[in-house]
Amino acid sequence: MIVRVDKIMHVSPDIWELSFVGSFPYEQVNAGQFVNIRIGTGYDHILRRPISIAAVDQENKRLTLVFRVVGDGTKWLSGRRVGDDLDILGPLGTGFPIVQGKSILIVGGGIGIPPLYQLASELNEKSNNIQMVLGFRHQADCFWLDRFNQLGEVTITTEDGSLGQAGYVTDTLGKMKATGKVWQYLYSCGPMAMLRAIREQFRGTSTQGYVSLEEKMACGVGACYGCVCSSENQQSAKRICIDGPVFPWQEVAL
Amino acid sequence: MSEGNLRVCMAGLELRNPVMPASGCFGFGKEYAKYYPLDQLGAVVVKATTLKPRFGNATPRVTEVRSGMLNAIGLANPGMDQVLNHDLPWLAKHDVPIIVNVAGQTEDEYCQVVAGISDSGLAQAIELNVSCPNVKCGGISFGVDPQVLSNLVEKVKRVSTLPVFVKLSPNVTSIRDMAVAAEQGGADGISLINTLIGMKIDLTTRRPVLANKIGGLSGPGIKPVAIRMVYEVAQAVTIPIIGMGGIYTGEDGIEFIMAGATAVMVGTANFTDPYACPTIIKEMSQFMEDNGIANLNDIRGCAYA
Repeated sequence: MIVRVDKIMHVSPDIWELSFVGSFPYEQVNAGQFVNIRIGTGYDHILRRPISIAAVDQENKRLTLVFRVVGDGTKWLSGRRVGDDLDILGPLGTGFPIVQGKSILIVGGGIGIPPLYQLASELNEKSNNIQMVLGFRHQADCFWLDRFNQLGEVTITTEDGSLGQAGYVTDTLGKMKATGKVWQYLYSCGPMAMLRAIREQFRGTSTQGYVSLEEKMACGVGACYGCVCSSENQQSAKRICIDGPVFPWQEVAL
Repeated sequence: MSEGNLRVCMAGLELRNPVMPASGCFGFGKEYAKYYPLDQLGAVVVKATTLKPRFGNATPRVTEVRSGMLNAIGLANPGMDQVLNHDLPWLAKHDVPIIVNVAGQTEDEYCQVVAGISDSGLAQAIELNVSCPNVKCGGISFGVDPQVLSNLVEKVKRVSTLPVFVKLSPNVTSIRDMAVAAEQGGADGISLINTLIGMKIDLTTRRPVLANKIGGLSGPGIKPVAIRMVYEVAQAVTIPIIGMGGIYTGEDGIEFIMAGATAVMVGTANFTDPYACPTIIKEMSQFMEDNGIANLNDIRGCAYA
């Protein structure tokens, strides 16, 4: 479907926020899903770029993405201007399950953080008690902190200590756990090393975890088997684009 | 617009049009059935099926290159039993011929899978994958030696009641020799081309992007290679040819017919646009109408005739 860029702006040196309006099934969006975006109109770029949905405004029928420029495709996307058309497929994938009235910990790292905003919004509407730990490299990389602050208790970590607690999110999680605090659900998105470390930290606890994974994709709809991960028992392939990107953390090899 | 001008008959198969998705680019049909009715297609060609389930290669398995992509999926598939018990029965409910792509590591393995598919009554044709570049012994050894290929086709034909198409690798010195060998082995048709072996290096990590290091190049950039090969093979064999390689538009499809193909497969274009196949069908029909061509037979192989 063709949508129209409504807003595009820098939110940190290499991270952009883009909103679009137009014909799109906004009401079908679940937190954790993504859209697959056509890059350019000719044959230079033939694979779409999967970008997670950061926020959806049901009332004004508007969807917002936050993405990092990592190559030619995302560079092209960052060059769009208000009023430009975008060729979009979505919403795609299996998102986060939304629970009600639970104690929740949301942990994000870097460019894994955007889909956690839509997640926190949806969880916030279902009377959950939400704590968030968001990790960035430096203060300059931080984005949307004011928005996240409206949805729960937020702890920021930066690798160089330029904002919030110094170190990785796992350092902060360790301290939080040491106070005896227990969460019923943990939702996370970020670098694989971070997801792996968090799952290790919570191994043997009663916390039920969900992780959102990332991989290079071709079709984005489950047909090509390009973006697979292994099931935890190594028995089968899980397609990140359709079986995920969100998985219960005990079901996938991290 | 009716697309009656696109009807083709090939190896005993009556197709409403010559456009089918290429194996590996369409899963087992389910995913694209969400976008349009599968009975619009000439046929559905499913993912390579092997005797046992295969996880495939490590990721990353796909990456974009200019005007194309590299893939090294590694014949990931759920194995013949699952395909026969779940995937094909679902697909067979649709009014569209099914072609099952079969891969193996030994002649015996190929024969077991071909016999299983053939006996099931769930498919209308077999496509023999002797050209996957991403798996050691994944069939490519059968696809580069004419004698080995001819022997394999002969054995497979003995256990199949279905027409057998042989999908050729372009990564050979003489595509003609391979096509002739397939025909001599008893093949009912030939499909070409599979992907060209390529590589992309990440300048930051200074390593190949794909975990498998090498992968198969597909997409618009390979079309001239594919057209040349179809053109050569069409003059060397009498069995029908399914042409593919970088088809993105109806005009691309027509070009393959003019090079000598009876039907065409659309691969990578499905990833760029899930509606690629139906769009190409409409465009091919429109081209026929605009140019006063009543039947594809009227232009088939016209480039060398």
